[in-house]
Amino acid sequence: MPDGPLVALRNITKTFGGVHALSGVTLEIAAGEIHALCGENGAGKSTLIKILSGSVQPDSGEVLVDGSPLATGSVAVSEAAGIAVIHQEIVAFPHLSAQDNIFIGREPRRGILLDRAKMRSEAQRLLNQLGEDIDLSQPVGDLPVAQQQMVGMARALSHRCRLLIMDEPTASLSARETTVLFRIIRQLQSEGVSILYVSHRLEEIFALSNHITVLRDGRWVATEPTREINQDRLIQLMVGRELAQAEAETKPATSAERVLLEVRGLKREGVFDEISLQVRAGEIVGMAGLVGAGRSEVAQSVFNLDPRDAGEVLLDGEPLPAGSVRRAMQRGLALVPEDRQHAGLVLPMSVGANLSMASLPSLTCCGLTSARREDELIQKLMRELVVKAASPKLAASSLSGGNQQKLVLGKWLARRPKVLILDEPTRGVDVGAKAEIYRLIRGLAAEGMGVLLISSDLPEVLSLSDRILIMREGRISGELSRTEATQEKILALAIPAATAQAA
Amino acid sequence: MNPLTLLARRREYAVALALALTIAVAGIVNPAFLAAGNLRDILVQVVPAAIVGCGLTFVIVTGEIDISVGSSMGLLAAVLGQLCSPLHAGLPVWVAVVLTLLAGTLIGLVNGLLVTVARVPSIIVTLGMLTALRGATEMLMAGKWITDLPSALRFLGTGSVLGMRVSLWMAALVIVTSILFARNTALGRRVYAVGSNPHAAHLAGLSVGRIKIFVFTLTGFLVGVATLVSVPQLSVIESGIGIGLELLVVTCVVVGGTSISGGKGTIIGTILGVGLLGIVRTVLIFLNLGERSVYWERAIQGGFILAAVLADNFAQKNKRGEAHA
Repeated sequence: MPDGPLVALRNITKTFGGVHALSGVTLEIAAGEIHALCGENGAGKSTLIKILSGSVQPDSGEVLVDGSPLATGSVAVSEAAGIAVIHQEIVAFPHLSAQDNIFIGREPRRGILLDRAKMRSEAQRLLNQLGEDIDLSQPVGDLPVAQQQMVGMARALSHRCRLLIMDEPTASLSARETTVLFRIIRQLQSEGVSILYVSHRLEEIFALSNHITVLRDGRWVATEPTREINQDRLIQLMVGRELAQAEAETKPATSAERVLLEVRGLKREGVFDEISLQVRAGEIVGMAGLVGAGRSEVAQSVFNLDPRDAGEVLLDGEPLPAGSVRRAMQRGLALVPEDRQHAGLVLPMSVGANLSMASLPSLTCCGLTSARREDELIQKLMRELVVKAASPKLAASSLSGGNQQKLVLGKWLARRPKVLILDEPTRGVDVGAKAEIYRLIRGLAAEGMGVLLISSDLPEVLSLSDRILIMREGRISGELSRTEATQEKILALAIPAATAQAA
Repeated sequence: MNPLTLLARRREYAVALALALTIAVAGIVNPAFLAAGNLRDILVQVVPAAIVGCGLTFVIVTGEIDISVGSSMGLLAAVLGQLCSPLHAGLPVWVAVVLTLLAGTLIGLVNGLLVTVARVPSIIVTLGMLTALRGATEMLMAGKWITDLPSALRFLGTGSVLGMRVSLWMAALVIVTSILFARNTALGRRVYAVGSNPHAAHLAGLSVGRIKIFVFTLTGFLVGVATLVSVPQLSVIESGIGIGLELLVVTCVVVGGTSISGGKGTIIGTILGVGLLGIVRTVLIFLNLGERSVYWERAIQGGFILAAVLADNFAQKNKRGEAHA
């Protein structure tokens, strides 16, 4: 075996629809090392993993295994080269048994038939190694989540892999299972397997890794030996120092204003708990946290898209009963969802139709919609929002991401809501359109609207919010005022506390 | 688990139970129903649905559908008749048989390519085929009947080997092979994987498209097989053969527990479904409803498919409730 790295990425660049997910990233992983990959949401970790595993083709750059280039963009080729992935979301076949799940794609055979005896004994051996006692014949979809995860793990181990990529493997594991996982990881390492370990849990990274690589905004920032770096320094590297245009505009104190939205002790079993918050008139309340902390779920529950198990929601001091989105809308609540392509717009329909969609009842008399009033509304909104479209008759799909996002905003603004909940309003939006959307949000608040802003973009949260709530694992872990908030403080509150290591 | 939940979950048990009850009731009301000759007639009658059902089970397991099988059978019957009838092409029977199987396979392959390569939803592809193939059949037959089928061909439909009808031997062979394929081959398991979670299948390095092309092609081939053993039971080939077969077979497959959203379903379940639907038809005749039995058959067939999907939803909901507890 040569002395060089087992796997090397050279100058990898990948763009999705004009947005740079990765630009010029170079990374080396030595044989038998545990290499941690860190970065905020959207730093490019997932894309990098997908390129290594062959499910995404890079635009440029190369992947070397043992010094020789790997044909990228094929899962089969990557697997044959010994690269296996344990995905964050549990990618399993819910209808198939554990043993089928473990071996699908590489089934042991005897002649043309499956060697079921071998599948069974191998699956048993792998799961024993993981310390799991799982019913091999039951459909995996019927197993508890943690066991499903272990089946995924067994699948990855069943490859004679040389590089095992683990993407947030402990996200759905209990402390005991995490301990087992760590034991397995170290055992694999002692057998010479390299591990690329991606996690938000910094304790785990410090406990396990030999090297840490940090990505930020799709760029490589640093690779350091783990023992030469501490947690503060790592967080600093992840967020960077430049606090993009966070100049605090002086605003009137809003504490005297009316509370428009109040949430008390909201709970959804297994998703979030004890969520209490207030949004006052004219106030922008930011909601920060890692992906999966439960922020969008809270918003959906407040808006009655999802049920709630406990707690209450008050709009303008009056309770909002659970169950009806229509009632929430009538009472002056609006939610601009995260996934604008699927949940926010009807892409094949025209710009105008999308804008007026949520306001049709107010334009309708005796069951007929007034085309003249609809046109007036559309023209007014397009002026207000500065939508860059040649005509309101164009299909919404023909607009850029930023202009599409303006349409989603406009659709709800047309109803003049009292409280606006924005979920990732600028994801995938270019810088110019971002600035216009920021101006719009500030303008709405200045007119007296209450805004709840969910965003993973920390500079965005910092520059727009009057107060920032931070969520961690389904709970509000802290609140920071505009003056005291920094990226470091937010991250420290957002990153899950010590896990198995403390136990 | 209470018995009702078990029945809802393991559809095979529920269908087997319904089948046994129907036979028992029919036997009590009219003992002639249980006569060996009658039972054999029922079996012979359900052969095409059973053979095509095996292929369609795999198509539905991948999350797709094929409603062109009835028209496909109509066209293959016309092709078969014209190839071996002395008044038309008059080819040797074995040549006609091979060409018919090839034609069936080709129709299935075209379905598969349109669904995967051209990315047309399978319901639309096969709806188009349902109409187009029937039209082609009518053109080919030009309103005439083929009545001079060679006796070697009639043997496939009416002859017996070792005391059992050729068509029953063929159905048994197809069923056993299909069960073995589903349970004990890598490709068989992959068919289920693709339907269970296409995204995960892609991540596992499976070629989702090729697997779907395979199941459509297999179904086309099996329609050919079904044509060969069922059409020569009659002495006449006309352009209306196979009308409604697609609805019957889809009903049997879904009643037998195959999930219309993919990932789940067994050959045994489908065969039990075929048995149940086939029995119902005969029972209606035995109940002496006369003309009306045809109307009842349709109504019951429709009721069955709705009940099957409702039971599926019930089982799903139940399962989720349990997982939360």
